[in-house]
Amino acid sequence: MAKDRSEPELDRELEDLPPELRWREWMRRIEAVLFASASPVPREDLAKVVGQGVSVDLIVEDLAADLEGRSFEVVQVAGGWMLRTRPAYAPAIRAAADVGEQLLDLNEFDVAVLAAIAYHQPITRDGLKDIFGKEISRDLIGRLHARDLIGTGPRAPRRGAPYTFVTTERFLVAFGFETLADLPDREQLEDVGMVETAAS
Amino acid sequence: MTYAHMTFGDDLDTLPRMPSWVTSARPETAEDVAFLSGAALNHLHLVLRREEVPQSLLRERLALRAAEACIAHLGRSERAGELRDAIAFLQPGDSPGPAGETYLSWQRAVERPVSVKALHRAIPGIEAGQIAEWVDAGQGAPVARAALVLETVMSAAPRQEVAALMLAEAALAQAFGWDHLVPLLANGLKRADLRKRSTELRLACHRAMTKSATEASRLAADLARQTTHLKAVAPKLRAKGAAEAVEMFLTRDAVAPSALPLPDRAARRLCDRLVDLGAVRELTGRDTFRLFGI
Repeated sequence: MAKDRSEPELDRELEDLPPELRWREWMRRIEAVLFASASPVPREDLAKVVGQGVSVDLIVEDLAADLEGRSFEVVQVAGGWMLRTRPAYAPAIRAAADVGEQLLDLNEFDVAVLAAIAYHQPITRDGLKDIFGKEISRDLIGRLHARDLIGTGPRAPRRGAPYTFVTTERFLVAFGFETLADLPDREQLEDVGMVETAAS
Repeated sequence: MTYAHMTFGDDLDTLPRMPSWVTSARPETAEDVAFLSGAALNHLHLVLRREEVPQSLLRERLALRAAEACIAHLGRSERAGELRDAIAFLQPGDSPGPAGETYLSWQRAVERPVSVKALHRAIPGIEAGQIAEWVDAGQGAPVARAALVLETVMSAAPRQEVAALMLAEAALAQAFGWDHLVPLLANGLKRADLRKRSTELRLACHRAMTKSATEASRLAADLARQTTHLKAVAPKLRAKGAAEAVEMFLTRDAVAPSALPLPDRAARRLCDRLVDLGAVRELTGRDTFRLFGI
């Protein structure tokens, strides 16, 4: 147990550095933390590597300005920040490596069910059945669950108190949404004929 | 003047009503709009001080309306009933979903006296220092102050509509010297209003205030009448724990029988009895998973 202590505590304040270098160092630290993390890092965690009471928001802002012109950027997603390649480089990345589908590996119908959950959450399996006109398999729900795209929401106030499904932060990250308000507007989709108006 | 013959029905008049020259006016000029919002807010200010108004219940109801409005701004379809369900049937460890989350934020915002800490608890996604800075961003008379806070937050963080409205409400409460946040702006502003700036936004806020202050005063009068009735019938209840149960109904928007400090059967019976006595209503229209409230 005592061995854990061997690493010296991180010097957060960096008082021996002149203010400008101190700020640079904090920016680099935050960059390093974001680079090393596969998921968005919340503000509280970033605050642990900079001086007490220093505004993480301001540092991230400067970092974002620094990354201007690079192939990746700092983005705010789902209550935290992460480094992400700019969308313009997606074709290049796809051409070089087979990474396009590895994140989700979902079939078309899986994605349709996921979209239905996103728009209608909290929704039960019965609710999904009503939308698609057929039973939604536990396997499919399991797949979405295993990828952490959906979670369980409040119980539906109905016989047996079935679970409802809601989307997760991971869902927002995977689709590049900051909040659920970024979901394409349903009425607009109907207007341009992307989806059929509810036929039921 | 005495009220010797005051019966239950007359209670409605113990709280002064919003004058009809406020409610029936159709103001056109900016001056008139501002004048009326001032009149309406002053009336509400006096109504809120009356001790027969159940303050925390009123705030919970207004928080529910605020959450409903915010959810509609997000383009989602959940209404008050679904918001109540999302919170009432939430199990530890489960996510409340987007609508439930918004409602929880508003509930937290009105629960405790206004402070940076309390606001941070309601909107944990925003740094406490940032909250303090934004709440103080306004200046001038109360409505102008709130409008400026709203504008500041919306321009700095356009996606944070809930936070922007909440902090503007907090600034308003401070300007009026109210301990607690009383959601008004959120219930009166339209989605398009949130994109407005300076004079236009201020005008929209004034209009929203006139509307919301009028509705809030009416709601306060209704709730005052209903809680008076509940208090009057409370002595008829003999069940053990009935007093605590009544206290919950007096302060909370919706209560599930299972949340009452009574055994299940007794709790359900107590709720049914209160409905028979006309003291509370069943809010969901369902036979099971019922929620009760004044």
